Amino acid sequence: MSTTARIRVDHLTRVEGHGNIVVNVTDGVVEKCEWQVPEAPRFFESMVRGRHYSEVARITSRICGICSVGHTLASVKATEDALGIEVSAQSWKLRELLKHAENFDSHVLHINILVAPDLLGAPSVFPLVATHADVVARALRLKRLAHEWGSLIGGRTTHPMSVVPGGMAAVPTVKELKGLREQLLAAVPDLEAAIATVAALAPVVPVFDRPTEYIALSNDEDYGLYDGDIQSVLPDGTRQRYPVADYKQVTNEFVVPQSTAKYTKHKLDSYAAGALARFNNNYDRLHPEAKKVAESLGMQPLCTNPYMNTVAQAVEIVSDVYESLALLDELIATGVELEPLVEPTRYGSGAGATEVPRGILFHEYEYDDAGMCVSGNCIIPTNQNHNNIQYDFEKLVPELVAQGKSEKEMELALEMLVRSYDPCISCSTHYVDVKFVR
Amino acid sequence: MRYLVGVGSYVAGDDAVGPRVVEHVTVNGLDRGFEAVDLSTDALSLVAYLSAETEAMLVVDAARLGLAPGDYLFFSPDEVETRKELSGLTTHEGDVLKVLEMARGAGYPIPPVAIMGIEPLEMESGIDLSGCLAERVPEYAAAAIERLAGL
Repeated sequence: MSTTARIRVDHLTRVEGHGNIVVNVTDGVVEKCEWQVPEAPRFFESMVRGRHYSEVARITSRICGICSVGHTLASVKATEDALGIEVSAQSWKLRELLKHAENFDSHVLHINILVAPDLLGAPSVFPLVATHADVVARALRLKRLAHEWGSLIGGRTTHPMSVVPGGMAAVPTVKELKGLREQLLAAVPDLEAAIATVAALAPVVPVFDRPTEYIALSNDEDYGLYDGDIQSVLPDGTRQRYPVADYKQVTNEFVVPQSTAKYTKHKLDSYAAGALARFNNNYDRLHPEAKKVAESLGMQPLCTNPYMNTVAQAVEIVSDVYESLALLDELIATGVELEPLVEPTRYGSGAGATEVPRGILFHEYEYDDAGMCVSGNCIIPTNQNHNNIQYDFEKLVPELVAQGKSEKEMELALEMLVRSYDPCISCSTHYVDVKFVR
Repeated sequence: MRYLVGVGSYVAGDDAVGPRVVEHVTVNGLDRGFEAVDLSTDALSLVAYLSAETEAMLVVDAARLGLAPGDYLFFSPDEVETRKELSGLTTHEGDVLKVLEMARGAGYPIPPVAIMGIEPLEMESGIDLSGCLAERVPEYAAAAIERLAGL
């Protein structure tokens, strides 16, 4: 039985990652157990000061290449709240379609490229290319579909251009929407095969439970991916909603010595955001096809195993496809036309929120009478999850020690836990670093 | 179709040089006979541009090559080995060379690909390129277009 362990997974020195896992165990006693996030501040809030409201989302979109749709939407929604703008039903639907594309894109990537290797016993996705080429090829096909889906609605998927304060600056034609509908239907076999892979791997998802608070957007109409109030569900099933404007009373940011990233907490010591939080909050309004998949995967609310976040993502990609098919049917039936942008009715402050793949995302801005940004604030879901990861670690490590796990096994279990959250901690740089071999 | 692809974070100093070159190309209407794509930090979306119809691809990215800041070099993926180690903790990290390797392994057709590596001066958080790169963006764009045409 392992009673002493020294684990230090120091990704800061491995070029791009900014999350460290540090665990010291001596004679069965856990002396140190930390999730550290020593990333450099990026000062986005200062970058938007003095910028016209029409520019702000263009800048904040650059916070993240994977979640750029979500940052664009949360930013535009906050600006529209500050400027007294209400967009049309058509714009709302097109933005929902775009939101689903991003969610699908990110989840497909996370499930297949980051988590599948763990569950298939491979050190990374690259050995899988040789042993499970079909899984990788299917993931890349679905990823490509998502890219084309997002590009059609957003002008481009990465940093979309169509979503602007007041509506949509460009809209697809009905013919193009029909084409997307055909693409989604054609992808159903790949989707079903992807779900079958998740179902086959679900039994090897680590068993670990830590009931926590789950926070997500929620409304009475749908699954709440694009819009809603803030909702909290506690382990005893107690639910409470808050207006988005009160987001600071929910997030309660604070600092800890081990990290430069801010942490958050609400009613309990920590809370979780992300697919599992959405599933636990909004299961009742999940699309029936997605519910069927959830049942087949053995998932029901409240699910308190954080490793199951990945399985919740699998449920959500089914929801993304079927919700989008319904949206497409509505848009095709009504027709789509380029509408004039809604003009500001006031200048003040406002907040906006949307769900990004990793959870609830908040933006807030204040504008002066000329429409120039005076101040901004952004709270990303990854920072809302750091504290929850820390508390997961504190429960998991003693359990692993008691189970007699080796250092390597403990390290893998902790890395898999972090991976299950798919934290957004490496969007800083993406430069090439090579040596010439010929 | 031919693609000129910019990769890098727009708000990380000189890491933005790829997207800035793409921006220069599109704003000035230089994207004739090819499509200019700003992939930003979503390097994995490169697979969306790999198909039998793709004739050639030029990727513009900041690169640590030991050159003077602002200088650049063209090379093919076959000429280099990546020194990048990815943490494996998140999908948010990226390496164009690893993406191409994975796509090749998964059976994607890989067209003639060249990488234009531009030596950065600094890659701290910020929305501006260093002066020594910013003043050369038109030169980078012209060189990239010429190289893409020759692929």
